[in-house]
Amino acid sequence: MTTAVVEALQTALAAEHSACYGYGVVGAHLAEGSAALASAGADWIAHQQSRDQLAAMITDQGGQPVVSAVAYELPFPVTSASTAIQLAATMEDGVAQAYQAVVALRQPQLRSFGAQQVRTAALRAESWRGSTLPFPGLPPASLRP
Amino acid sequence: MSDGTPSRRAVLAAVARGFPLAAVPLALAACRGVQVLGSPPPPPADIRTLSAAITAEELMVARYRATIAQLPASDTAALLAVRTVQAEHIAHLAQLRSRLIQPAPHPSATPRPVTIPPGSAGSLLQALEQAEQAASDRLIGQLLVLPPALAQLFASIAASEATHVPYLRQVPGAAS
Repeated sequence: MTTAVVEALQTALAAEHSACYGYGVVGAHLAEGSAALASAGADWIAHQQSRDQLAAMITDQGGQPVVSAVAYELPFPVTSASTAIQLAATMEDGVAQAYQAVVALRQPQLRSFGAQQVRTAALRAESWRGSTLPFPGLPPASLRP
Repeated sequence: MSDGTPSRRAVLAAVARGFPLAAVPLALAACRGVQVLGSPPPPPADIRTLSAAITAEELMVARYRATIAQLPASDTAALLAVRTVQAEHIAHLAQLRSRLIQPAPHPSATPRPVTIPPGSAGSLLQALEQAEQAASDRLIGQLLVLPPALAQLFASIAASEATHVPYLRQVPGAAS
């Protein structure tokens, strides 16, 4: 049990909390019965499961899982299906970046778990955006010029 | 190392932490001096893994080049998608190379050209999808020997390569 492990897992958990909130906003702007709404519902459930898994991992490490905020400030106004889809893609970018904190850990199982979650978030972002990114989860400042 | 000479691992790690690049030529010169005395030790696992990833990315870029040469010029949708993904692989390669302090590549170390069997656009794209999935899985399997910053880069590239699979699959005609 180390502080570094708990801190990294808390970073990922905070991102999962915001994604759980955000997918509620996304779903509210998608048409009833649409394929997009079905996708948003599936992704929402996946984030809830990851949230619960992370909370359990933190508890196992002797930590106190961070709780969700009551509300989150959206990165841009969400007023339509297209802006809702942009929000979903943007949130997945953020989730991928948060799990990179877990990838940085030395514990083999945690590092592998983090990498799988970066990949899963990137795949969800691709499905919303319809295009790919060269470096999911890495801020531009971390790349060499 | 015991005499205060930084190991290549230390050089790699120092660069990963953002130490000034000006320190690197000196350190490399020191390594070469040591190697004159005997056969060099095998490179540490992280450098071997990074070198292997660079070679794999070089082959991937070459595979895309060969695919572009085979696609009919009239298939603009497939060509656009394949060129878009190839550009991401070129970016991957540049980042991987930037993490490795190494002498200029030996002439024999230039990547061999990739030949791919001719086929329909659909089969060419499917072959790329399989190569992408395999490359993504391989990188994720190599994470454990790496220092944290390099593990994050590998995880990011593995994620990017995984997303190329659905991206290529959505190209009109990809499933044929």
